[in-house]
Amino acid sequence: MARILGGIGTSHVPTIGVAYDKGKRSDPDWAPLFAGYEPVQAWLAKKQPDVLVFFYNDHATTFFFDHYPTFALGVSESFPIADEGMGPRAIPPLKGHPALARHLAESLINDEFDISVWQDLAVDHGVHSPLTMFWPPAPDWPGRIVPIEINVLQHPIPTPLRCFKLGLAVRRALLSYPEDLKIVVIGTGGLSHQLNGSRAGFNNEKWDKQFLDLIARNPKKLAAMRHADYIRLGGTEGAEEIMWLAMRGALSPRAKKIHQNYYLPMTTAMAVALFEEPVEKAVKAAKRPKMAKRARRSRAAA
Amino acid sequence: MNGQLKGVENLEGTHLFDLAASARALRLNRFLHGLTVPAKRDLFKQNPDAAFEQASLSAEERRMVRDLDWVALIRYGASFFLLEKLGRVKGVSNPEIIAAFRGETLDEFLKTRRVPGAR
Repeated sequence: MARILGGIGTSHVPTIGVAYDKGKRSDPDWAPLFAGYEPVQAWLAKKQPDVLVFFYNDHATTFFFDHYPTFALGVSESFPIADEGMGPRAIPPLKGHPALARHLAESLINDEFDISVWQDLAVDHGVHSPLTMFWPPAPDWPGRIVPIEINVLQHPIPTPLRCFKLGLAVRRALLSYPEDLKIVVIGTGGLSHQLNGSRAGFNNEKWDKQFLDLIARNPKKLAAMRHADYIRLGGTEGAEEIMWLAMRGALSPRAKKIHQNYYLPMTTAMAVALFEEPVEKAVKAAKRPKMAKRARRSRAAA
Repeated sequence: MNGQLKGVENLEGTHLFDLAASARALRLNRFLHGLTVPAKRDLFKQNPDAAFEQASLSAEERRMVRDLDWVALIRYGASFFLLEKLGRVKGVSNPEIIAAFRGETLDEFLKTRRVPGAR
């Protein structure tokens, strides 16, 4: 059966990808950001997940307002890198996992999450700006991704609670996938920032730190808040934090935050947090005989 | 009224992108979205008037894009993330656009930031 090893919450500001592409690791203005991703990269290199499931938002790049999906799942073999006005970044196209993605679509829809599905469309910096910091694509990506797009651009956007519930449903779907896959779930966006009006440039470090604490300890409290609260506390684009809630919903309540970094150089608070699931060796050993007994019983009944 | 957003109307200097803004500025946003397509982007770079004509932009829409009037564009209902694409095509950085929203020069804005070089 598929297993969820842990999760990652990360900002997805385009400049994170630009700093990577321009090799700014030793530039003092960027070094604290690179350093913050090193433990995440090391953890992934050690755990070797097969698939990263991404909750992210498109930035009116691939999807346009003539039809802007609330939740949309990428089910194809490959996802090109989007052109956002200057040509695509020079990184390989992302590899999908169609079998897992189809299973997710079936499971989510049967679980009353009527998600749209898409194939072959490009993904923008909402996925790959942070990705290169912890999953370097040289010579090619170390594994596959399943992207789940969430509308955080055009209100009405899904509620924080709905996004948390989406995470719970994605967890049920992933854990019911029969193949032995190792999966890490990722939520991108935030933290505090606003990109419009005279309030543009707004940040709130106190709220950001509180969010980083609550997302680990008490995500239900975050899920119960309204968008107006997120916007007041974290700016209009702080609403992106609902994608962290989807990620957190896909983890068990016992998942532990083992690393975090916070860096606020310019307009957007750049954060990354790494969560690890407890290893359930004892539980597994206890469950096995019971399942075998049940299987014998059902065979006998048949 | 969207109950999730109650109270946002009291926040100063905030333009929420909702269905009303999206409907009002659909034609303009569609033009800006076209900048992700190399042929349309090249046309805009080489012959902006022809690109405006192709997108049937109004006189005011043309003026706002030509003048890079960021404040008017965002008030009109342009999505920031599409203005970001216009910025990339015109060589204008996000901090410059943010400074314009705030009514500041880039230098004034950078003085309010912790790491002015990180852009």
